[in-house]
Amino acid sequence: MKDWEPKIVGFLCNWCSYAGADLAGTLRIEYPPNIKIIRVPCSGRVNPLFVLKCLMDGADGVLISGCHIGDCHYSEGNFYARRRFAILKRFFEYLGIDPRRFQMSWVSASEGDKWAKLIKVLVEEIKQAGPNKLGGRKDG
Amino acid sequence: MAEDLKNKARELLRARQVDLVIGYKRASDGIAAAPCFIDIEGDADKLIWDAYCVYNLSVYLKDFRGKKIGIIAKACDVKSIIVLLQENQLKREDLFIIGVECPGVIDEKRLCFSDRQYQEVDRAIKCRPCASAVPLLYDWLLKEKEKMGKVSEDHDKYDSVRKLEAKSLAERLKFWEGEFSRCIRCYACRQVCPMCYCPKCVADQAMPAWFPKATGDKGNFSWNVTRAIHLAGRCIDCGECERACPVGIPLRDINKKIEKDVKELFNYEAGLNAERKPLLSCFDKTDPADFIR
Repeated sequence: MKDWEPKIVGFLCNWCSYAGADLAGTLRIEYPPNIKIIRVPCSGRVNPLFVLKCLMDGADGVLISGCHIGDCHYSEGNFYARRRFAILKRFFEYLGIDPRRFQMSWVSASEGDKWAKLIKVLVEEIKQAGPNKLGGRKDG
Repeated sequence: MAEDLKNKARELLRARQVDLVIGYKRASDGIAAAPCFIDIEGDADKLIWDAYCVYNLSVYLKDFRGKKIGIIAKACDVKSIIVLLQENQLKREDLFIIGVECPGVIDEKRLCFSDRQYQEVDRAIKCRPCASAVPLLYDWLLKEKEKMGKVSEDHDKYDSVRKLEAKSLAERLKFWEGEFSRCIRCYACRQVCPMCYCPKCVADQAMPAWFPKATGDKGNFSWNVTRAIHLAGRCIDCGECERACPVGIPLRDINKKIEKDVKELFNYEAGLNAERKPLLSCFDKTDPADFIR
């Protein structure tokens, strides 16, 4: 258990956050390798089922990241996402899922620095939350 | 009173104003009600209306698209019709809503375990905080002869939700995992829900398979969560899912939690206005964002 490292799934929008994460790499900023990135066209593309499936199938945390409000490539995709996931966030907590496991952040294409800091904090938080035991998993 | 209802149904069918009337008839046990579908004038005699008519008949509307339908609807049933109208699942002109003034229906589950008469049997729990005896939308209203004086009891609608919210994270998870462990995945909650109208449910889908189809911790948890999030901002709390659940999962405590959050976060209540856009099909620039980093 002491070797346990959290697995985090990140849904990143193609236009801002994916480019932001890319920039962090280009700038050679170091951050933990615990995040597995899935590129989506827009944060509005993310279905609550994606998040649920990740948490059920072994992820210890899920991050949804997209453009800042007002910067969406499709003008309003992130507005829809914000509404949807405000409900999901509270609902997960009600079911007893640690709120640290599901997070959302706006990261722009120029915020490589913010991205690296975000992941550092996120990994730390999820380490504290411990291994995800949802879906009947007994192991780490 | 029931005579007025029968006459109205006859009149509608005779005038060809509707092709079919969806209503209630007495079930074969002589006590309970059962849904009935009346398409000839002579059958209108079967129609009844009393506190045993617990079902939300709007679930059948999707089976008769393109037909002119007369439907008997209580205040809560009309709310679900409003959501279906909001979501373009129905055409208002195809509907003739026969509204009924409802003093609250019986608690069917408790009746099953006793031989008490209606007067002694409590109103269903979902009916207690409800003050809307008259439906929000109707084309014709069947009035209650004697004023039953429907008063919403001083009863916090979200009492059970608040109790759960007060528990710790670990306790809540244990509670829900325990409840969901009894789920046999019969999908009665889905079949009885007027809002579940997808031609292919994600639970039946194989590509991609969102969660296991067999009973088990993972599949049961996923199914119940999925059902709930698909009802976010749409559930009008008719309570049919909880009534239909054979293993007694407190599904209304899930639905009401989301209903409460939606009210708090977006000041939105489902089923009040057919003109308004559905909650998740629109947004507001001032929507809460405090959970986003």
